[in-house]
Amino acid sequence: MDVKDIFSYDWSYLLPEFIILGFATLLSLLDLFAGKRLGKQVIGWLSLVGVVLAAVFVFVNVNTLDKPYSYMADMIRIDDYGNAFKLLFLGGTAFALLISLSYLKKGEVQHSGEYYYLLLTGLLGAMVMASSADLITLFVGLELLSLSSYILVGLRKKSLQSNESAFKYVVSGGIATAITLFGMSYIYGLTGTTHVYEISMRLAEAGMAGYQFLVYVAFVFLVVGLAFKISAAPFHMWTPDVYQGAPTPITAFLAVVSKAAGFSLLFRVVMISFFNVTDGVGRFFFQEGSLYLGLMAAASMIIGNTMAIRQTNVKRMMAYSGIAQAGYLLVPFVPPTTLFFSEVIFYLFAYLLVSFGAFAVIMVVAQEQQTEDLKGFAGLYHRSPIMAVAMSIFLLSLAGIPVTAGFFGKFYLFMGALAQENYWLSAIMIVTSVISYYYYFGIIRQMYMRPGTTEAKMAVPKGIWVFVLVMAVATVFFGAFPGLVTDYVQTHFNPSFDFGNMLPPNFQ
Amino acid sequence: MTVSITSYLMVALILFCVGLYGALTKRNAVVVLLSIELMLNAVNINLVAFSKFGLYPAVAGQIFTLFTMTVAAAEVALGLAILIALYRNKATVNVDEMDQMKR
Repeated sequence: MDVKDIFSYDWSYLLPEFIILGFATLLSLLDLFAGKRLGKQVIGWLSLVGVVLAAVFVFVNVNTLDKPYSYMADMIRIDDYGNAFKLLFLGGTAFALLISLSYLKKGEVQHSGEYYYLLLTGLLGAMVMASSADLITLFVGLELLSLSSYILVGLRKKSLQSNESAFKYVVSGGIATAITLFGMSYIYGLTGTTHVYEISMRLAEAGMAGYQFLVYVAFVFLVVGLAFKISAAPFHMWTPDVYQGAPTPITAFLAVVSKAAGFSLLFRVVMISFFNVTDGVGRFFFQEGSLYLGLMAAASMIIGNTMAIRQTNVKRMMAYSGIAQAGYLLVPFVPPTTLFFSEVIFYLFAYLLVSFGAFAVIMVVAQEQQTEDLKGFAGLYHRSPIMAVAMSIFLLSLAGIPVTAGFFGKFYLFMGALAQENYWLSAIMIVTSVISYYYYFGIIRQMYMRPGTTEAKMAVPKGIWVFVLVMAVATVFFGAFPGLVTDYVQTHFNPSFDFGNMLPPNFQ
Repeated sequence: MTVSITSYLMVALILFCVGLYGALTKRNAVVVLLSIELMLNAVNINLVAFSKFGLYPAVAGQIFTLFTMTVAAAEVALGLAILIALYRNKATVNVDEMDQMKR
């Protein structure tokens, strides 16, 4: 490792992060000094400008950078893997800001300034999680995202539900952090470094030198702790309560951005660190390691989809559906193939469009009906046909029915699993998907076939109306032409099938 | 006289388990937060012990400890702030009574 002067780095590749950091700082100062005089929406729009600007510079990085750029021994590492995830986070945060602009008009959250810049700091944490190859930086990014989202969940200060879900989130998040760190401390003990690529080599040596048991223990602690962030099975219990109590745009943010960030961290750290570890027969990660992830995936799919059937609260139901989605997303890692990267990015992209669309509709209906109950959707088709049709498209996509983006997302995962001859996992995936039709169609049944309490036209804010329409059209469009996204991912992020430059060249 | 690494690791492991037990079973919310702090401190003991007696002793572990301590402090401060907000709406610190959303 050569030591470089910090001025000798080309810092321009970090512009997206600097922009988000700058906007978060400046907006908090602006809110402090001029918050009373400015309209409530101004800070929201300014945050949106920051997010869009950062996304532009990520695109610039994608086009100009042909090999990974590393700062300070990979403390921050700009590579295609990180860039792809960053675009998803930026898109998700932009959508969250857009629906928040309408949500905050109702005045349930008094501190609208904090709301916006905490979203930005959360986004910054997620971006750091996606683009670092050092345990310390990754941990700090993880905590930046977690701490921001704890506050965001509890921001409806007067609502007991919100307080309660924030407290549950803090406690379960704290336990998960401690477990992750405990795993990391064993990894550090066996390797003496926090640099993920060095860990990869030394962990294999430690495994050979008779410390195999400790290596496995570290693996289990790390995976169990990180399962919290992606809300997968051993650590999913917080999800329904937190999703239910959080403001709806924040629920969508947690469901998409926070989950995607967890995945980006899990895959990079766990896969690289344990890549070279052998169990005497073959690579540990591709056998026992991925079997463990497979069991997690199966449990998430089964628990998520069966528990969702019993729910009457829509947000709770979406939470269980989110647990199931986390299960699907773990499928391509059992064991990882060269295609897993584009599969996962496409799935997350489809999930991003669909979740935000669905949560926007849920938000409007819940605010108008004053209830988050499933019954609030009754007769929606007669009151606002476009909302009902759009919601049906989102639900069909979540269920994975053709001509929607969600179908191809699931289809790629399923074909990937079949190609790996992973029949048991594919079977569970199909069976649980069929179970999931029941509760997704439950909402559709309410919308079209049940009489509502009123037949009056539903007042939908213009912004939400446009947003939902765009999401619905995009869902169908990318369902008809999924190749547009997968080709883009393949040519720009993963041309040499090395998981978006995640693996260093000397890896075999 | 030197203490072997196993003793440090045992202390950390015991501390971690006590913390986990406390966090999962205690009814008082403040004690739950305290237990989480115990778990995080167990990690610190591990890291510092490893930075001297690990397979590859290096100072990185002590630096990691500084970060974990800072973050742990922030996390518990946040937890207490949320607890105070909750206490204002419902005068209880009893975890069992936080059951608004049970279905």
